[in-house]
Amino acid sequence: MSARQLRRRIADLAAFAFACAATIFGLVFLFWILWTTFRYGVEALKPSLVTQMTPPPGEDGGLLNAFYGSGVMVLLAVAIGTPIGIAAGTYLAEHGRFSRLAAIVRFVNDILLSAPSIVIGLFVYELVVRTMGHFSGIAGALALAMILLPIVTRTTDEALRLVPDTMREAGFALGLPRWKVTGQILYKAARAGMLTGILLGLARISGETAPLLFTALNNQFWSADLAQPLANVPVVIFQYAMSPYDQWHALAWAGALTLTAFVLALNVFVRILARKGNSK
Amino acid sequence: MSSAPPAAAAGLHIATGADAEVHGAPTALAIRGLDFFYGKSQALTAVDLDVPARAVTAIIGPSGCGKSTLLRTINRIFELYPEQRAEGEIVFEDRNVLDRKFPLSELRRRIGMVFQKPTPFASSIRNNVAFALSYYEKLSKAETAERIEDALRQAALWDEVKDKLDASALSLSGGQQQRLCIARTIAVKPEVILLDEPTSALDPISTAKIEELIHEMRARFTVVIVTHNMQQAARVSQKTAFFHLGSLVEYGDTSQIFTNPRVERTKDYITGRYG
Repeated sequence: MSARQLRRRIADLAAFAFACAATIFGLVFLFWILWTTFRYGVEALKPSLVTQMTPPPGEDGGLLNAFYGSGVMVLLAVAIGTPIGIAAGTYLAEHGRFSRLAAIVRFVNDILLSAPSIVIGLFVYELVVRTMGHFSGIAGALALAMILLPIVTRTTDEALRLVPDTMREAGFALGLPRWKVTGQILYKAARAGMLTGILLGLARISGETAPLLFTALNNQFWSADLAQPLANVPVVIFQYAMSPYDQWHALAWAGALTLTAFVLALNVFVRILARKGNSK
Repeated sequence: MSSAPPAAAAGLHIATGADAEVHGAPTALAIRGLDFFYGKSQALTAVDLDVPARAVTAIIGPSGCGKSTLLRTINRIFELYPEQRAEGEIVFEDRNVLDRKFPLSELRRRIGMVFQKPTPFASSIRNNVAFALSYYEKLSKAETAERIEDALRQAALWDEVKDKLDASALSLSGGQQQRLCIARTIAVKPEVILLDEPTSALDPISTAKIEELIHEMRARFTVVIVTHNMQQAARVSQKTAFFHLGSLVEYGDTSQIFTNPRVERTKDYITGRYG
């Protein structure tokens, strides 16, 4: 083996070792987090978690009101954000394909996509909470919807732009109007990508804490009234984890585990869905 | 193509006799002084062409000669792209289809188009045919089923798909997908059908099936086919137009174009000297 070959061999090995080390470094923390969440969360996982309300300090309880509040607000946010996001994405990919306005809207949407969620929380605080005079579930759902909106817009835009032009031409060549070509042909061709976007957005907003601190706040008691402060898992975790009480710590771990498991399951589901969509 | 022997030596089957008799047939499309632009570059220059009704007209020529562009002008599909523009007239039943007032929906229902690559919609076989049909006509379930069967029969696809109409159109082979696209076009009862290199993405057997179909389509429709395959043009058409660099070089009966071209450039192309 010549000296040059040897040098190359060593450089290759060094690069390989470095890449492996970097990967392991990243994965170690991921699994550490998952394992810690799992270990402490499993201990606190009891049936009472889903049958009882958040307790006062020093007592046992559950997270029923928080699960309910989170579920309602996330679903409401999806119900608000998805149609607007799909409509906006459709405008960008179809109607505004050649317009300057669409290019600008796409750019602004990308900024919104990476806006710190706490800023969105403050925005809704100014807009809704101050107007209403108090925190509310509606304000929380609106804040979450505003985080979801740019995600759905972006993924719809991208999924539609991946549909080849020949498909559009084929639809238009039959004399179909644009709404029918988009609604019945392009959405069908792009549905896997669009659904992926909605689910990824749902996963993202399920764990958001900052925007809810300023909007839904929290509620110690059972409340189904969306006009009132609403309990929710992320803020409960935040408050309980910061408290000095053991029972509260346990509930925070249980909440964290449930939330993590939910988001993980959703991501896995999206992967499967995307693979199915691609193989077609 | 450059080394292809002269047409006669290649044993081209050339439509002759009664098959070629389209003289005196009414004109379905009268193209007058047509110019076409992609932005600033001109793709068609002063094209005049009479397309006879109930006959197959082939458009041949080397790549980039504007033959697909011509087809895309007739049903105004080019209007999807703002930088493309056509000037001149295409007269269809005494009306200029390039007139903005001519409704696109009517134009494209009456002048159907099938593309180079099969473009089945991501839906069932049944829906592929029913989409446009249900948009244009209010039909009962039974009538729709009948029309779908009729269209699929005309496209010689019925026997292959009659037991799986609800299967995805994407599960069909390329040749079947292309016949589905033809069925989809036929279903809305057009008068003219534009075929843009409909067999260039298909194997020889599928190609033969589609060519057979084109022969049958002639009885009911006016067919304009763009093809880069001269044998195909000779096999399926009664009229042939040869384009070069965006201009119509020669237009006449297919038998005449292939056996006795009047223009030197046509002869050069047909005998394979370039293209």
